[in-house]
Amino acid sequence: MKKKYWKSIEQTKNNNLELHKEFADKIPIEKIIDNKNNFTASRRDFLKLVGFSTVAATITSCETPITESVPYLVKPEEITPGNANYYATTFDDGYDFASVLIKTREGRPIKIDPNYEARSLYDANSRIQSSLLSLYDSYRLKSPVNQKSKELNISLEDYFRNLNFDLSSNKKTVFLTSSFTSPSLNNIIKDLKLKYPNFEIIFYDPISYSGLLDSYDEMFGVRALPNYRFEKADFIISIGADFLGEWLNFDHSEGYASKRDPDNKMSQHIHFESNMSLSGSNADKRYIIKPSEKVSVLTNLYNIIAKSFGEKQINSQSCKYDAEIKLLAAKLIRSKGKSIVLIDSSDKNLQNLCFKLNMLLGNINKTINIAEPLFIKKGDDNKFNILLNEMLEGKVESLIINDVNLFYNFYDQNKLKKSFKKVNVITQLTLKENETSPFVNYIIPKNHFLESWGDSNPKNGMYTLRQPVINPLFDSIQVEDFLLKLLGNSKNYKDYLKSFWKKSILQSTTNWNQVLHDGFYFSKQKLIINIKNNLDINYTSKNIWLNHSDGGLELLLFANHLGDGKMANIPWLQELPDPINRTCWDNYLCISKNLADNLGLKNKISADGQLDGDIVTIKSGKLELSNIPVFIQPGHSDDTVSLSFGYGRTKSGKSGDNVGVNAFIFYKNFISEYSGIEIIKQETSPHKFASVQLAHTMMGRDIVKEATLKEYKKDKFAGNHPENLHTPEGMKHVENISLWKQHDYNDGHLWNLAIDLNKCTGCGACVTACHIENNVPVVGKSEIRKHRDMHWLRIDRYYSSDMTMEKAESLNEDDNPNNDIGLVKKYKLMEEPSQNPEVVFQPVMCQHCNNAPCETVCPVAATSHSKEGLNHMAYNRCVGTRYCANNCPYKVRRFNWFNYKDNDDFDFNMNDDLGKLVLNPDVTVRARGVMEKCSFCIQNIQKAKLDAKKENRKVKDGDVKIACENACTTGAMVFGDVNDKSSKVHKEKQHERSYNLLASVGTRPNVFYKTKIRNKKDVS
Amino acid sequence: MSHKESHIREPLILGDKSYHDITVDIARPIETKANKWWWLLFGLSLTLFLWGIGCILYTIGKGIGVWGLNKTVGWAWDITNFVWWIGIGHAGTAISAVLLLFRQKWRMAINRSAEAMTIFAVFQAGLFPLIHMGRVWVGYFVFPIPNNFGSLWVNFNSPLLWDVFAISTYLTVSIVFWYLGLIPDFAMLRDRINKNVKPFTQKIYSLLSFGWSGGAKDWQRFESVSLILAGLATPLVFSVHSIVSTDFATAVLPGWHTTIFPPYFVLGALFSGFAMVSTLLLVMRKVLNLEAYVTVKHIEYMNIIIILTGSLVGVAYITELFMAWYSGVEFEQYAFLNRATGPYWWSYAGMMTCNVITPQIFWIKKIRTNLAATFVITIFVNIGMWFERFVIIVTSLHRDFLPSSWTMYVPTFVEVGIFLGTVGFFFVLFLLYSRTFPVIAQAELKSILKSSGEKYKK
Repeated sequence: MKKKYWKSIEQTKNNNLELHKEFADKIPIEKIIDNKNNFTASRRDFLKLVGFSTVAATITSCETPITESVPYLVKPEEITPGNANYYATTFDDGYDFASVLIKTREGRPIKIDPNYEARSLYDANSRIQSSLLSLYDSYRLKSPVNQKSKELNISLEDYFRNLNFDLSSNKKTVFLTSSFTSPSLNNIIKDLKLKYPNFEIIFYDPISYSGLLDSYDEMFGVRALPNYRFEKADFIISIGADFLGEWLNFDHSEGYASKRDPDNKMSQHIHFESNMSLSGSNADKRYIIKPSEKVSVLTNLYNIIAKSFGEKQINSQSCKYDAEIKLLAAKLIRSKGKSIVLIDSSDKNLQNLCFKLNMLLGNINKTINIAEPLFIKKGDDNKFNILLNEMLEGKVESLIINDVNLFYNFYDQNKLKKSFKKVNVITQLTLKENETSPFVNYIIPKNHFLESWGDSNPKNGMYTLRQPVINPLFDSIQVEDFLLKLLGNSKNYKDYLKSFWKKSILQSTTNWNQVLHDGFYFSKQKLIINIKNNLDINYTSKNIWLNHSDGGLELLLFANHLGDGKMANIPWLQELPDPINRTCWDNYLCISKNLADNLGLKNKISADGQLDGDIVTIKSGKLELSNIPVFIQPGHSDDTVSLSFGYGRTKSGKSGDNVGVNAFIFYKNFISEYSGIEIIKQETSPHKFASVQLAHTMMGRDIVKEATLKEYKKDKFAGNHPENLHTPEGMKHVENISLWKQHDYNDGHLWNLAIDLNKCTGCGACVTACHIENNVPVVGKSEIRKHRDMHWLRIDRYYSSDMTMEKAESLNEDDNPNNDIGLVKKYKLMEEPSQNPEVVFQPVMCQHCNNAPCETVCPVAATSHSKEGLNHMAYNRCVGTRYCANNCPYKVRRFNWFNYKDNDDFDFNMNDDLGKLVLNPDVTVRARGVMEKCSFCIQNIQKAKLDAKKENRKVKDGDVKIACENACTTGAMVFGDVNDKSSKVHKEKQHERSYNLLASVGTRPNVFYKTKIRNKKDVS
Repeated sequence: MSHKESHIREPLILGDKSYHDITVDIARPIETKANKWWWLLFGLSLTLFLWGIGCILYTIGKGIGVWGLNKTVGWAWDITNFVWWIGIGHAGTAISAVLLLFRQKWRMAINRSAEAMTIFAVFQAGLFPLIHMGRVWVGYFVFPIPNNFGSLWVNFNSPLLWDVFAISTYLTVSIVFWYLGLIPDFAMLRDRINKNVKPFTQKIYSLLSFGWSGGAKDWQRFESVSLILAGLATPLVFSVHSIVSTDFATAVLPGWHTTIFPPYFVLGALFSGFAMVSTLLLVMRKVLNLEAYVTVKHIEYMNIIIILTGSLVGVAYITELFMAWYSGVEFEQYAFLNRATGPYWWSYAGMMTCNVITPQIFWIKKIRTNLAATFVITIFVNIGMWFERFVIIVTSLHRDFLPSSWTMYVPTFVEVGIFLGTVGFFFVLFLLYSRTFPVIAQAELKSILKSSGEKYKK
């Protein structure tokens, strides 16, 4: 009990609330001033007032002048400087979709978070979070441009006044747009079509799902995407579909992760794939196939199951996994109604077959929610091809391009150029100039989504609203307003939207303001579904093998976290390392070790410890792409090479241009798989990669603790047996051995972070969230190459190796001396990942050790421990000896090697007046020469504590949300106070699976991990 | 300091020198003009020095990023050079203090230069902790001075802070000790210089000699203070490098976290210090015609110390390997295996060859009394000891606990430039010293001159 001194007699009375008030009562100036006539202030009051005003005047005049700060003349009602405001809105750019929450400070948006209240479709992945910076992109178009007359700045009024095309002409006016699901926009377009019969709308997805959409249409009568319910699936077989990564761009990870709890009927995930994808690396068992083998895997699987259900068989070919497939099929039948089979293919017939298979397995309406299909993709390859031909034939009067960058992501540029020439007037609506801009007549700046109104209907029954959180920064217009003007409707879109919603979507009792506040609305809308049970197997059978070829080397095109490349100019995204390759600022040809050896291609570690790769040209018929660096990827198919989309932009801005190569050149007919590829090695000096991790295995160390489900069922401590060490007093647990006197955490908070390695898919959303929240600088490719990435939070990835400590031991101990491998060779072999390795991900940030090695070595005590278990970092005390970083066993401390802001050598958002607006005012921008690291988002902890104090209550579990935890929709991260016995994190800490990283070092971290469990039943 | 002459011992001063000859020989470099070799060396050193200053300014102007360090390897050439220079600066005090206490008369010919070398080396060493800071301009934070920053105090747990104290104490005591010995010699110079010809020089030396009269009382006090300072300085010889070693020993890193470090570092420091003294004296005795004073015997004695310390260092290396194996800690085992066979194997091989194998050649008397061979081997030792520090620092850091953070390190021209700059600075100081200071403690030396006895015998 602390000694207490009373300040006054009142204080001895405990229930005196007045004393707990943070601020003293205001001086009733208003009251005094209002009552001018009967001013009854006494002499004492008068003196008080005079004293107060003198002091106030003096204090204000003493303050250091703040430069470039514009005070509010009239303070907006909802803004209190220093307090954040949140607005629910919708991100829907035709590629990604999420219901999100925007954090604004003093009117500027500074963070995009998932809107958990929406209950579905709220996963703000790295791309969505990063889209924030495209608002503050100084390359944004500031006013409309008339390229015909070379007028660089025209006004929108000019554009509409001299509308150079005739909507009512005989020729078509086509609105070519990326996918959108806006019901109100659809309504505008319907009106336009009514008024101008030759008006047409064409959807274009750079990465097309046309085959799947058509298939869904055929099988279920709606052109939509399937809505998989991974939270209900016990058994998942994916054939090339990277559903945890980019496939469908709808994040399935939350549902998936919820079934990865070994205590609660854990699911099993089998993956067939050619390249190493995020999903494949999370799978319990992964089989390597060529892209062309997908057909035989699915058909074989189908045949076994069809047979058991007495259905007709389909033509199939044997494949190398026939035995395994037999086993998997049997398991599928056993887990009827609780399984999912998915395949990534642009072939409609193959998708039909896959749906048919799921129907046979009784998954429809169970693990595939057909009542609520997804509408987020609309692209139609056929219609687009027809449009191009019509343009060539001169049938198109005018083209309005919305957010589509054909000259970057359509493979046949010559055809495009020819057809563009035949169109009378082309108008481009875009955020900023891009590759397509030189070929259009008018470029109209478009509002950023944070500046726009809008709505979406992402899946049946779910409606979301988009609201602006900032006024348009430039002379831009939103698409809907543009179309309304074309329509001649004088209403602005905001009013239009509101009345449309009130009329067509909302029930009469629903409050528009409430829906706007929530950002979403669920209606009980029924969808008419016609399930087609009688798939024509003969027809399908013929067609799936029709275009099938598996000659020679195959090429697979895929998307990584840069997606379709629209956001290539966002340095945050460029600097986010690929979760698998751990390489950033590049795309590259992924290729297996064997294939590389056969082709004489090399990856070398250069003298400075970085990766250099040979450069190749790939060829297929007339298509050719050169200057592609080769990256040797463990677990890659030997007969396949793969390349990601999204790179090779030439007109995106300073950060995105000329990074990597443009894989869309090979995306012929929207097919991402090729056979008969030729690889020619270029005799140039090798490409310099920027990798953040080059050691790929755990070297036999207990870093990520693993066990199989079977082992875990037997022993809850499987893979996580307590680490004991010999001491003079006998065996002792590492936790109980220390030279140090322990901190006293008996009262107050003790913040802990739990990370469940079973739920972490390695997606990287937390890395981006941390990057944005904490003003972490971007350092660029050359600095990353020097291993100077600044990420406070990284996701380590390890591959399994064929050589393990145990194996080496048994080899050395058996009778055959020829088997012996020496110590040196053992470690050399352990460095090599397996051919088809198991992959683990481990997010690592400052572990906030209770016996922190960094704290003892800092000569100036710039880093020290808090009462709440946090490891603090006082930037302005730091002299930059880097001793703390050297002594950190986790290597999470990051040094400011240079000034990363206002420095032309680091020409990213912090060197740009507009870009700097994205900085979080609650977090210091660090100067050169100081150390920095994860602070457990101390700004959020303080905020929660202050809020609780103001409300005169204790901090509740869940009050503090740290950036990484908040971005993690799978729930792999749980942050909280372990002193609060009812908290989630306290429960997690008691769990048998929880362990501290490198516990034997004795650092006693406040971050703990939970063992990775793999469900290897029947497949190991 | 009476001198009892032994018939068995070889004389420490060769030739038929009289007291006056010694005075003349020692004063000669100061009283005559420098030859072109001196100017050449000085010019070269000065150029290196200026280049080093340029590199330092570039670092301070741009940021530590101009070096080759990264997130995993936070120290490399900077601290390697620091420890190397500190090590070199070890022999001086050992020679003048420890050998004084052990009454080793042969130290008299070399202690002055050895101590000068110590002080100049500590200057170089002290530079590195300063410039390796990310924010040099707030470097004064490391001193426990009263302040207004919420009365922030330094962290007494940090070995870096202990370094600050250890090195500043060592430097202070070394300077005082050195200066004390210089007083009678400055007085000698004061008396030799003609006041009318060089009034200014004479004035300076007379100020520096503190009014030394050469009287019996002066000598008595001189000897007492010398002895006291020797007593004070002796523990410092052991403390400085012990404390420097705690920079590593108190860390948790495998390869750093070792209790053997304090003695290991002290031995290494003596080893490299003696090697450096040998290197310098071999050149100096030739250039300044001091062959009669710094004899082959002196060199041999130092070589014997080099064999001893070199072998002990070798034992320490092997003990480390043994402990790594014996501890059963996989991190530790890998750290040492990686040192010897990993990507930096060449630095480990260089260290082993230069420090453990080469000095063993000194067991052969012919070699250890051969000046050319000694010169070559001492250079090897100096290189080897640089490698030792590089091995300890870089190979431990670059692959530590989590493989995900393993990196490599290569220096940039800036780091190399700064190192060469300190070499230049060191030689600038030493060359200036050799032309303005009596490079041998002639007053003391005269006490071991066998002249009277020898003459009598003839």
